[in-house]
Amino acid sequence: MDKASSVVVIGGGIAGIQASLDLADRGVRVHLVEKSPSIGGKMALLDKTFPTMDCAICILAPKMIEVYRHPNIDLLTLSEVTCMEGDAGNFKVTVTKKPRYINESKCIGCGVCASKCPTKVPDEAQMGLSMRKAAYLPFPQAVPLIYSIDERSCLFLTKGICRVCEKFCEAGAIDFEQKAEERVIDAASIIVATGLETYDPSPLKEYGYRRFKNVVTALELERMVTATGPTGGQLLRPSDGRHPDSVAFVQCVGSRSLSEGYPYCSAVCCMHATKESILVKEHSPESKVTIMYTDMRAFGKGFREFVNRARDEYGVEYIRGKPAEVREEPRDGGLSFWYEDTETGEIHLKHVDLLVLCTALTPSHDNRRLAEILGVELDEHNFFVQPDHMLSPLATTKEGVFVCGYSQGPKDIPDTIAEASGATAMSAEVIRRAMRG
Amino acid sequence: MPTMFYLSARNLALAEKEGLDLFALCNGCHASISEVKHALDRDPQLVKQVNENLSSEGLEYRGNSRVLHLLEILNGEVGVEKIRASLTHDLEGFRFAPHYGCHALRPSVVGRPEDPEDPKILDGLIRTLGAEAAYYPERLDCCGSSLGLHDIEAALKIAGGKLNSIKGRGFDGMVVVCPFCYKMYDARQDIIKRVLEDEEIRIPVFYYTQLLGLAMGLDAKKLGLHLNQSPVELAIQKMEAKWRG
Repeated sequence: MDKASSVVVIGGGIAGIQASLDLADRGVRVHLVEKSPSIGGKMALLDKTFPTMDCAICILAPKMIEVYRHPNIDLLTLSEVTCMEGDAGNFKVTVTKKPRYINESKCIGCGVCASKCPTKVPDEAQMGLSMRKAAYLPFPQAVPLIYSIDERSCLFLTKGICRVCEKFCEAGAIDFEQKAEERVIDAASIIVATGLETYDPSPLKEYGYRRFKNVVTALELERMVTATGPTGGQLLRPSDGRHPDSVAFVQCVGSRSLSEGYPYCSAVCCMHATKESILVKEHSPESKVTIMYTDMRAFGKGFREFVNRARDEYGVEYIRGKPAEVREEPRDGGLSFWYEDTETGEIHLKHVDLLVLCTALTPSHDNRRLAEILGVELDEHNFFVQPDHMLSPLATTKEGVFVCGYSQGPKDIPDTIAEASGATAMSAEVIRRAMRG
Repeated sequence: MPTMFYLSARNLALAEKEGLDLFALCNGCHASISEVKHALDRDPQLVKQVNENLSSEGLEYRGNSRVLHLLEILNGEVGVEKIRASLTHDLEGFRFAPHYGCHALRPSVVGRPEDPEDPKILDGLIRTLGAEAAYYPERLDCCGSSLGLHDIEAALKIAGGKLNSIKGRGFDGMVVVCPFCYKMYDARQDIIKRVLEDEEIRIPVFYYTQLLGLAMGLDAKKLGLHLNQSPVELAIQKMEAKWRG
């Protein structure tokens, strides 16, 4: 394959996956660079998607496997772009691959290393609600289906003792000798798809996150209701493992904020709160579910109908107002708060068993370093800047480098996929020009 | 120029003249003076006006003195280590409800001694004495004092709500750091009982330094505990029984 017709895609979430598949299907050689051990990104953590209530991983997993099998895609996990030189049509991209400590061609994914590993650490894929081992597969549908050893917690890599996994691995795949490797890739174009992170709401002390056990974030709730979650799909309160009879969602926690947090609207929370409130109702139809919102931003296709359905068919209560200060009742772990219903101007006191914070979503913090390497501009919140946001929304400030998904701006999954396909077209145009010479 | 600016600036200027920081014993006084100092330190024109008025007494505001709160004095200037070293009697087994009071916490922009949403210093100071300082949902509620001038019944109900909550939670008493809050919960506890028609409310209310004094082995009378109108004797008798062994 001509080097002029390859593209580096940075980020293996749904945006990077879609861009890689679109390009690869056109005959373009793709190098998909993902910093974690598996592709899938944040979408792989979701139970369902709005407004269709499709199972997220059921839609995503076939695409992940297609990426892995595609002859035109070179999948580089545990990898990061560490240097870039050149211009559009002729970039030289240095990718550093961190050691997995497990030989990728020998590992058969049996999991015996994880079962024997004595070290437990909070599981990122379960939002820290349960533990994983130092030798681990991030989640059951991980791609590649190859275990890895976390060097921050492995006993041998941190203290020089143990090596138990090595004794039990029949495939002989454990390799503590692995070192970081560098590769230089020629690419005509680069697509950035580094996605999103969730804002930690602990600085907003009025909500009591981390102080009160039964205050959780929306992504934590997503794990609590999903079949592959820490409770096997049972919605149980963190404090006492009891089914909550009442749940309230709080919108705009750190979003649309002029003090602590971010001033922008995170774009998806009105809808994912609606989705999660339906999930809570489906788990327990008797429970009382309330969404405390700022304005209902149900602008997308099928969104308003989705909200109407949650309200009319499922009995979800929507209140325009926010909790002033959340308090915990030490006797039962319940939460209470005063709020103003801003539609009536009345002040009310509410008690709930579980409180869910729909926190701001932010671009990746690693964007700062990546933008420096790529020589492109970020805005003050780490979104990639477009020189012409109106007419060329997928461009960055460097020719030949494109952006799609949440790292471009707040958006949902369908818009992310549309942008990924759009960035593919922009990249293809760079390749066409480069090949003409 | 509002008289408030002049009065607070005068107190600050008097302290400055002596080369001292100003220790405001009351949350409200500390908040008022902090608010004025915050304004003066950002507005040279206001300082000029204030100083024109102060000059008749030979005073001048320069902004060199700090305004300190009891929480800052004990936690910062003295320090918990020194407090711990001065103790002769420990309060282990006692459980107190900390009451910070609104003005120790707000308005946060003018610089308050504590985090308005999740204050911890008074909890720490109570623990320094060996006692437990426990969370209760109403801990940040207002004592209602400032409402007292306009609607005393509403004020008493607000104070009563908090006492009522503390009642059922197994506390040996409430600890305050503001004389205004103290007056509400201590001196007015009997009236609150009448207004709420609840004879069960019997909450010992201590100003923090009274509790500190007891743990330092000081005489209850010297600490003015005979002047408290809430049933502090309930807690003191329990302490004496503990210390007798």
